[in-house]
Amino acid sequence: MAAVSTAKVTVTPTQFHFVKYESQDIIDVVTELAELLGVANPIHVIIDETTPLSKLASEVDGVSSDAILTLRAESGALEDTKRFTHFSADAARGSLGRTLLRAKDRLRSDFADTPDDPELSLAENAAWDTYCAGRLERMGVKLNKQRWLYNYRNRFGFSDNCDAAFERLWSSDDLSWAKLTAGP
Amino acid sequence: MRQFFPVENLARDERFVQTNMAERMKDARTTVDVDAATAKSRASSNRLTPDRQDASDGARSLMHGIMVGEIQALEGAGRTAHDFAAGDGSGDTIPFELKLDMARQAWDEARHVEISAKLSDWMGTDLGEFAENTVLFEAACSNDPILRLAGVNRALEGLAIDVFTQMKEFGNLAGDPYLEFCEDWMLADEVTHVKMGSDWLRKVTANDPDRREKALEFQQVVDKLFSFGGARGETDESPIGLARRFRELAGFSDDEVNTISKMDSDALEERKDAIRAFHEQADAQPTPA
Repeated sequence: MAAVSTAKVTVTPTQFHFVKYESQDIIDVVTELAELLGVANPIHVIIDETTPLSKLASEVDGVSSDAILTLRAESGALEDTKRFTHFSADAARGSLGRTLLRAKDRLRSDFADTPDDPELSLAENAAWDTYCAGRLERMGVKLNKQRWLYNYRNRFGFSDNCDAAFERLWSSDDLSWAKLTAGP
Repeated sequence: MRQFFPVENLARDERFVQTNMAERMKDARTTVDVDAATAKSRASSNRLTPDRQDASDGARSLMHGIMVGEIQALEGAGRTAHDFAAGDGSGDTIPFELKLDMARQAWDEARHVEISAKLSDWMGTDLGEFAENTVLFEAACSNDPILRLAGVNRALEGLAIDVFTQMKEFGNLAGDPYLEFCEDWMLADEVTHVKMGSDWLRKVTANDPDRREKALEFQQVVDKLFSFGGARGETDESPIGLARRFRELAGFSDDEVNTISKMDSDALEERKDAIRAFHEQADAQPTPA
């Protein structure tokens, strides 16, 4: 039986004009993810519906159990890629799941030195995405591992050495920021 | 076997969901700056290069677009080889040698479909993962074979030259050996396909200037459609560039390439106007309490 999350989830905007999304659908996905990941903090999700891109970012305003976790997503990150402007719960689970895991990581003391998301390099982003996607997949969220391997290769190189580093990140569960960004 | 096959009846399995340009243009979201107020929220360049944060997903999406484009190009070339009787090129006939060229092109496109499907797998994309825009096959549905040459071989395959050049460069910069190699080989075929279209269009309409003019007008209409609202263009606002050198090799004159560049630019500005109008409309809607 799944644990019941006490996380309070809010979404901005409450009504969408550019995409056919319902804020309640997003609340449902994030609530389900919070239960899955054991997150009880309040969560605020901010969607930029004016762009079809899919950039994501997370912020925390402290490290306590009542610190607010803010997840930012461009609308493409939650979109059904077969139907423009339509919401996909699967896409949202993958995107917001990774972002929520990042926010959860930021609550740890060994992530205290982590730069804010806009300051992260492309390589740091790729390493952290790999680490988050691997954990999500093991929790049962549907993901295409090859997609993340391709993303990692684009940042670190197309070599056996890089593929081995990808596998280590993908299968890890308890990394610090320093270990996560140690590179191949 | 049936002739003149409508786009609605293209054979696809349940993985594929089709869309068209009208649906695509209804999407009022944009990656370009339509006004100064949003300028800081957008990337400095929209060109699809590995230094974009969404580079690998952008490349996956474009690669899937290439794959379904190859399927439709195969279907289009095959239809042209079959739909018209062999003759001297007048009326509804086409020279037998043109049929052979279309059959050769269909063979090339079939190989491209296989290559593109394998590249998609390599990049982590499921077949049918993205919507299939059927605009490419729609350009291959004209009843006049010369309009098909203009729309498919010159406009569609011309776009393919631009896209393959972009993807080859992406593979080169990212260090992806398979992507760069495959795009280079497919690009060589596309230059040949455009050249076939250019040559046959001139040959078949040599004594019919009205028909040639009509075909070139149709090509311009298709070219503007294929600019996808400015997604292709010579500035960094467009994800896909205009491959001038390869177009020259394929038989485009400088004037023709300049005309396409101008149409791309106009299409981008029209798209911006449409998006500004949608923003104003959205801003005017009441905010819920």
